[in-house]
Amino acid sequence: MRSGFPLYAAMIAGLLVLATTPLYADNYVVRTAAIVAMYGALATSWNFIGGFTGYPSFSTAAFFGLGAYVGAICQRHGIPMGLAWAIATVVVAAFAALLGGIILRLRGHYFAIGSIAVVELCRLVISSWSSLTGGGDGLNLPLMPWPPEQLMRFFLFVMLAILLASLIATIFVDRSRLGFGLRCIHQNEDAAAMVGINTTAYKIAAYTLSAMFCATAGAAYASWTGYIDPTDSFQIVMTVKVVVMALLGGAGTILGPALGAAAFVLLEELFWANFLDWNRAILGVVIVLLIFFLPGGLLSLGVLRRLRAAKVGGGK
Amino acid sequence: MFAQGILRSARTGLLAGGLASGLLAAGLMASSPALAQETIKIGAPLALTGGLADEGHKQDVVWKMWVEKVNAAGGIPVGDKKLKVELIEYDYQSEGQRASQLAEKLINDDKVQFLFSPFGSGHTKIVAGVGERYQVPTIACVASSESVYDQTLKYLFGTLSPNGGMTTAMVAFFKEKFPQTKTIAVLGRDDVFPKSMAEGIAKAAEAGGLNVVYKELYPVGTMDHAAALSSIKAAKPDWIYVTGYTQDLILARKQMQDLGVTAPIVTMVTGPSYKEFTEGLGPLANGISSSSWWHHLTSYEGQGVWPTTAAFYEDFKARTKGDPDYVHGSCAAAGEVIVDALARAGSLDKAKVRDAIAATDIQTFYGPIKFGPNGMNLSRELPIIQVQDGTIKVLAPAAIKNADMIAMP
Amino acid sequence: MAIYLQIISNGLMLGALYACLAVGFSLVWGVLNVINMLHGSFIILGGYLTFFAWHLYGIHPVVMLPIVAALMFALGFALQKLVINRVVSAPVLTTLTLTFGLDMILYNAMTYWFTATPRRITLDLGAVDLGSVVLPVDRLIGTALALVLTLLLYGVMRGSSIGRAIVAVRMDRSAAELMGIRTDRIYAITFGIGALMAGVAGVVFATVFPITTNVTGIWLGKAFVVCVVGGLGSVPGALVGGLVLGLVESFAGHWFGPQQAITAGFVLMLVLLVTRPTGLIGVRGYE
Repeated sequence: MRSGFPLYAAMIAGLLVLATTPLYADNYVVRTAAIVAMYGALATSWNFIGGFTGYPSFSTAAFFGLGAYVGAICQRHGIPMGLAWAIATVVVAAFAALLGGIILRLRGHYFAIGSIAVVELCRLVISSWSSLTGGGDGLNLPLMPWPPEQLMRFFLFVMLAILLASLIATIFVDRSRLGFGLRCIHQNEDAAAMVGINTTAYKIAAYTLSAMFCATAGAAYASWTGYIDPTDSFQIVMTVKVVVMALLGGAGTILGPALGAAAFVLLEELFWANFLDWNRAILGVVIVLLIFFLPGGLLSLGVLRRLRAAKVGGGK
Repeated sequence: MFAQGILRSARTGLLAGGLASGLLAAGLMASSPALAQETIKIGAPLALTGGLADEGHKQDVVWKMWVEKVNAAGGIPVGDKKLKVELIEYDYQSEGQRASQLAEKLINDDKVQFLFSPFGSGHTKIVAGVGERYQVPTIACVASSESVYDQTLKYLFGTLSPNGGMTTAMVAFFKEKFPQTKTIAVLGRDDVFPKSMAEGIAKAAEAGGLNVVYKELYPVGTMDHAAALSSIKAAKPDWIYVTGYTQDLILARKQMQDLGVTAPIVTMVTGPSYKEFTEGLGPLANGISSSSWWHHLTSYEGQGVWPTTAAFYEDFKARTKGDPDYVHGSCAAAGEVIVDALARAGSLDKAKVRDAIAATDIQTFYGPIKFGPNGMNLSRELPIIQVQDGTIKVLAPAAIKNADMIAMP
Repeated sequence: MAIYLQIISNGLMLGALYACLAVGFSLVWGVLNVINMLHGSFIILGGYLTFFAWHLYGIHPVVMLPIVAALMFALGFALQKLVINRVVSAPVLTTLTLTFGLDMILYNAMTYWFTATPRRITLDLGAVDLGSVVLPVDRLIGTALALVLTLLLYGVMRGSSIGRAIVAVRMDRSAAELMGIRTDRIYAITFGIGALMAGVAGVVFATVFPITTNVTGIWLGKAFVVCVVGGLGSVPGALVGGLVLGLVESFAGHWFGPQQAITAGFVLMLVLLVTRPTGLIGVRGYE
C-alpha cells in the first residue's frame, strides 16, 4: 500500500512537464507554468496545517504578503536577491511560530476566523507603517534587466524549486513522527495529547511549515513583478483560493494540493478568456460543484487513487 | 453503487480530457507560426469586476467607441496601408497580480503591439512593468502620480498631466478668491493617487502660507469618518480637503453634514469629476470644489476621429445618455496617440513606434498631448470645478470659466 | 470635554448599526455552526433592493423594510434548504468554502446588474444639535431601528415556539431531534432569519452608507469582529459586541488617527479570541 513508486513517478513527471515548457511553448505558457508552481507551493504548504492537522487555516495570504514585503524591504536596502528571499523565509517562519503559539489555542470556527483576521491585520499594519513600507504607495523593486524569456525561465525554475522543496518537506513529514502526530491531532486532539503527543509543539511546527514556503514564494513574486502594495499583497480571495486548490486536489494527500493548483489555474485560464463579465461567478460555481460532487478532491477519483500515498482517514 | 462507479469514471474522463485539451491547446497556440500582421492589436487588462469595476467600464466604453470609429473610417494608416484596429480586453478583477498576468497573456498569446493600462497609478505600475520588459508601448490614461513615471520606464506614456500641477494652482486660486483663508485640514485615503494628492496639497498649502491644522490618512476599507471629522471640526479650518474614491467621498460628505462639519471651502478630489459623486450626494454635493484633468465644456480642436470636444461629447451622449468625465476623455484620446505615432513611424517596428510616441506633439479634442522626458503629458492649466445647483461649473482657467466660485452653502 | 461626548455618541450610534449588521451572522454561526461568507453580500443586496425601489418607484425605505425582510427570508430559507443543508454538518472548511463560492456568484451577479457605482438614498434628515453634541437624525433612526429589530429578534427567540426550537437546536441538536423538532426546518428558518436581518441592516444602511459591492467584504469583516467580541449565537452578545466595536473604533480614530481605527478593532478581536473565546458575554461550550 505504501509503495512510493507511483507517487514519485507522478511527482517527477509533473515537475518535468512544468520545467520543460520553455522548450516548446511561448512565454505566456511558461508564465502559467510558473504560476502553477507558485500556487502549487502555496497549496502544498497549506496542507501541513489544513490537510494533515485539520486546522482550517486561512492565513496563507498573510504569509505570502509578509514574505513579499520583507523581501522587498531587504532588496531595497541593497541585500542581494537570493539572500533577501532567505531572510524573508526565516523572518516569516519565526513570525508564524510566534503567532501559532497564540492562535493555535483556538479550534474550529474560531481558529478559522482568527486566521482570516491575521491577513487583514497584516494589511492594515503594513499599510499604516509607511516609513518602512511606503504605506498605500507600495514599494518598487529594482527591475531585473533581463530579456523577458530569460526572466520568465528564471522565475519558473525558482517557483519550481520552491514547489519541490515544499513537496520534499511534505514527504518527510508524512513519513516521520511529526506527520503521524499531526494526523492524530486531526483525528482527535485530546486523545493525541493523552497518548503523549506534544500537541502544541506539533501544531506550531505544522503552522510554521505552512508559512515558510509561502514567504519564499511571496518574496520571489515581489522580485518578479517589481512592485507590491498592501491591497494586492494581502487578499482574502487569495487565501481562500489556495484552500480551494488543496481541497480540489485532495487535502491531506501528498500530491493533491499541487495537482489541485494546476487544475484550478488552468480552469481560471479558460474562464478569463471566454467569460469576460462572469468569470468570478463561474469560479464560484466550480467551488460549489467541488464541495458537492468531489468532496475528497481529484485524488479520490478512480484512476488517480493510486497516488494517494497518504490520506487522513475520514475526518471528524 | 454501479451507477456511482459509472458516474465517477465519467467524471474522471471529463476532467482528464479537460486538462489534457487545455495543455494541448496551449501547446498548439504556441507552436502555430505567427500569422502575417493584418490588424493592429491593442491589449487592455480591465477591471470589469471588483473594486474598480466602474472605472474599468468607463475605459471599456470609450475604447470601444474609438475602435468603431477608427475602423469605420477604414483603419489606421501605416505606411501605404490602412490597418484595422482590434481591441482585446480581459477582466483582471481589480487584482494587481492578475493584471500583470493578463498583460503578459495579451503580449504573448494575443500578440498585441500596444497596451492600454488600467485605472489607477498602482495597477499602471504593474502593467507598465510588463510592457517595459517586452518593449511594448503602454499608454496610461488614468495614472497621474509622478512616482509611476519615475522608474525610467521607456515604454510608458501617460495622457494625464502630473497631479502636482493640481495643488499649487488651486491654493493660489482659492487664496485669491477667499483671501481670509488661513488654515486647511487634509484627510486622505492611503492609496497611491489619493495619498499623493493629500501630501501634495499639504505641501502646496504650507508653501502658500496656509497653516495645516489637521492631516491624516485613512486606510482602504474605512467606512466611518466620524472620528476624523469630529477632530477636524474642533480645529475649525477655513478649508477642508478630502481625497479618496467616490464611495469614500460620498460617505465623508454625508458625515460632514451629519456632524455639522463645514468650512467656507470644501474640496474633494476627485469627487465632482465623476457624475456618480453628484448623483450619490444630491443636494449635499453643492459647493464642493475639485480639480480635474479635463472637462467637456472645454473647446479643444485637433486631429483624430473626434475633431472637437463637442463632437466627442455628442457621440458620447448619444451612446451612453450621460456626460463624459476626465476618465472618458483621457482614455478616448489615448488611441489618438497610437494613430499619430504609427503615421509618423510608417511601420510597426517596435523601436520606431516607441520613438514616434515619445516625439508626440498633437492637438486633440482632449487637449494637447506632448510627452515630457518621463513619458507624462506636459503640465497645462487644469480645470478647477465646483458643484453649483447640482451641475458642474468650471471656475478656472479663465478661458473656459462659466461660473464664479461660491462659498459652501 | 465636549469632543468626548461627541466621540461617545458617534461610537454608540455606529455600534448599534454594527450590532444590527452582525446579529444575523451570529445567529447562523451559533445555531448552524456555519460561517456565512454570504452575509456581507446579503446586506448589500438588501441595500440595493431598497435603493432601486426608492430611486425607480419612489417607495420609501420604511415601506421597503418588511418587503426586503420577506424577500431576504425567502432567499435565505431556500438557499439553506436546497444548497447549504447538504453539507451543514461538515467541518468548517467545507461550509466556509461553500458559502464563499456562493458569495462569488452573488457578488458577480450584483456587480453585473447594478454596477459597482456607489448608491445612496438621499433622504438627509438633518441633525439634532444639542450644543456640545450633534446627533444625525438618520443615524439616530438607524440606531433606533437597529435596536428595535435586534430586540424584536430577541423577543422572538425567547417568546415564540420557533424561537425556542432554534435555541433548543443550538444547545443540543440530537436532543432536539428526539423531542420531535425537525432540525432541517429549523436550520432553514434560522438561515432565513440570518438573511432577513442582513437585508434589514441593508435597508438601514442604504440611508447612511454608500451601497456598493465594493464594501461587502468590509461588512463581513465587521460581523466577524462583532461576533467574536460579543460572543456567539446570542442576540445580546451581538448588541454588546457591536457597541464595544463602535466605541473602540471611535476612540482609536480620535486618539491614534483614522489609520489605526480599524486596526484597533481587529486587535481587540484577536486579543479576545485568545483570552476569552466565548466573547464578552458569551456562554461557554460553543467554541
